[in-house]
Amino acid sequence: MPKLRLLVNTQTPLVQFLRVPRDTRTPTESSSVDLTQLTEGVDYRFSPGGVTRMVYPLLRKLLADGVLEDAHWVSLNPNAPATAHLPGISLHHVAIDPERMAGYGTTKEAIWATAHGLVSKAKSEGLFWTDDATEYTFYNRTTAMRIRELDHDLDFDLFYIHDFQQLPVGQMLGTLKPKIFRWHIPFDVRSIPVDWRPVMQRYLSAYDRIVVSSDRYRRELERLGHRGDVLRIYPYIDPAEYRTRPTAADVGAVCEKFGILRAHSVGLIVARMDPTKGQDRALAALALVKNSLPNLRLVFVGNGSFSSSKGGLGLSKSDRWRARLDEEVRRAGISDRVVFTGHVTQAELDALYERSDFSILPSVNEGFGLVVVESWIHRRPALVTDRAGVAELITDGENGLLFDPDSVTGLARQIRRITADDGTLRRRLVDGGRRTARTCSLETAARQERELFESLVGG
Amino acid sequence: MSGLGMVTGFNLVLLDVGIIVALTALFAWIVNLILRGVMRASNPQVAVAMRRLGVTVVVAVGAVLAVQELGVSPSILLLVIGLVAVAAIVAIRVPLENAGARFFSGIYSPFKVGDTIRVAGQTGRVIEINAMTTILLSEDDRMVALPNSTFLGQPVENLSPQAWKELVVPVTLSGSTDLAAFESRMLKSLSKLRLRLDPRFPPVFTVKSRSVQGADVVLTVMVRRPEDREPVLAEVNLRVSEELDHSRQSVPKPSALSEPPSGS
Repeated sequence: MPKLRLLVNTQTPLVQFLRVPRDTRTPTESSSVDLTQLTEGVDYRFSPGGVTRMVYPLLRKLLADGVLEDAHWVSLNPNAPATAHLPGISLHHVAIDPERMAGYGTTKEAIWATAHGLVSKAKSEGLFWTDDATEYTFYNRTTAMRIRELDHDLDFDLFYIHDFQQLPVGQMLGTLKPKIFRWHIPFDVRSIPVDWRPVMQRYLSAYDRIVVSSDRYRRELERLGHRGDVLRIYPYIDPAEYRTRPTAADVGAVCEKFGILRAHSVGLIVARMDPTKGQDRALAALALVKNSLPNLRLVFVGNGSFSSSKGGLGLSKSDRWRARLDEEVRRAGISDRVVFTGHVTQAELDALYERSDFSILPSVNEGFGLVVVESWIHRRPALVTDRAGVAELITDGENGLLFDPDSVTGLARQIRRITADDGTLRRRLVDGGRRTARTCSLETAARQERELFESLVGG
Repeated sequence: MSGLGMVTGFNLVLLDVGIIVALTALFAWIVNLILRGVMRASNPQVAVAMRRLGVTVVVAVGAVLAVQELGVSPSILLLVIGLVAVAAIVAIRVPLENAGARFFSGIYSPFKVGDTIRVAGQTGRVIEINAMTTILLSEDDRMVALPNSTFLGQPVENLSPQAWKELVVPVTLSGSTDLAAFESRMLKSLSKLRLRLDPRFPPVFTVKSRSVQGADVVLTVMVRRPEDREPVLAEVNLRVSEELDHSRQSVPKPSALSEPPSGS
């Protein structure tokens, strides 16, 4: 296969600018910045979140393996230079005005909440007829036009569109070149309002391949009536990034920072502050076991997403959710049992995993749940909601402990089970998890993605 | 007649020609304006064609008058134009007929590529509509090319399920029209007709072609009841015309292909 020129499209940009260089926000020749000349953490930072975290390592690997000639990444980034460059990867930023952004944000949050089962189908009916939805269309049309301009100049071989925010882009591109769409969030036909289905089918059918994160979602797409090719590729992380174990000093520093004592048994919850992440379920379970497990501490890592951050889209919902969790903590009398760390550095996160005894993914619904794979790589047993995509890889008691997020007693039972263990269960879960993590490695996914590209572009 | 008198006479002729040209331009503008108002609820492409035709007729009459003023017999000019036109029509009658039929059937015939239709004893899926023919793929994998004129003279049955729901409105946007903004405003405008439209199929725009000169897009709406087809089509045409007028009156923006979306 000849080297490919790939177009990637995500809503979330790869990087968020902490300081936007002067004269770079208008789309002129001089509006391009070289990220290698800027300082990470000072001028910019990499966006948190699963999509960018998966796509960037994949692009780097495919560039290193000679699969890609170069990659161009179009995303929504209103507070950024028009373009930015990394070796082999050009970032192109789309901006829409704040009024339109508000309408777009409302619509995409409604889609998100519906897909995650957070609002009833009845409440979501008619969404695509609202004025706000026209801004969702506007954003996607603007993005599609930008991609068309780039294609006019650069002649891409393949278009790889990511996530529900960008779903209409394929239909709007109107190109005969191959197009792939990756669906990252949960997909359950039962949660999709009837009047959304033809809209979704129309958009989905514009793509040559759909990639989903679990076999369950593939079956659900068939139930929706989608007749095109659907491929399952499990989300992935690069285990090589976790080879360096934190030192005792690193762990000590992070424990001191967050008040974690030697005697504590630590359950780690790594998720952004969002109702769908189910932190409230973990708090409720903690309230149930607080008397029997006085040394148990739950450590919640994470703050808002790109959408809710001030440097991002400014659609703050994380603050509201955090305030509600604080209220739950006060009401349950467990203030001394929980730690909210907010955003932590990767080094601190590694140290927290090292210090933890187990991790919990309590999400109400979860497209996949890469933090479970992260936990496995850190050799920590994972307690996992059975509504996550990753749950189909888990056999209870073999490589994880499953629970229904709507059953607080179920989660409390699994917490008791792992904390009461004499080591046998823990070893089995850790070994099983490590084996399963290989299924979700960058190496495995890159091979599958390469095969996918070959099937569309020719080997 | 003295040389000075000849020059003055020629100047007067030029003045007359100038006045004719100016009046022609004014009259063409008025005709364009009247036709725009009269055809607001018509298909936008037909309205544009009729306006062009009206303006062309006015300009042609003005040209004949101007030529006459310059001392050339208009009958010779008209004779030449007439003969050329007749010769052209005789020479390319069939393609002209098919192209004309394509224009009108493309707008008024209730089928599109992908539909299964029955016409003139042939049944098949429409796989191509070009300037001359419409090509069907029969169930036994035969390609059947039908001259487009067939569709104006024969009953056409669209066998696709719920084909009656679909209304297709082709729209031509100039290069100065911001497609994304136009689409957004149109969708807002059409949502007010929601009671008459199928709730499962919000209106959708499909870009057929785009260049620096503009874009050919197709607006598809699905009606809720068969009897709503005609009034909804008229209303949609009206709203498209109004929106196109609005776009023309707005400050022209660079075309989609020439400039990326602006920064925030």
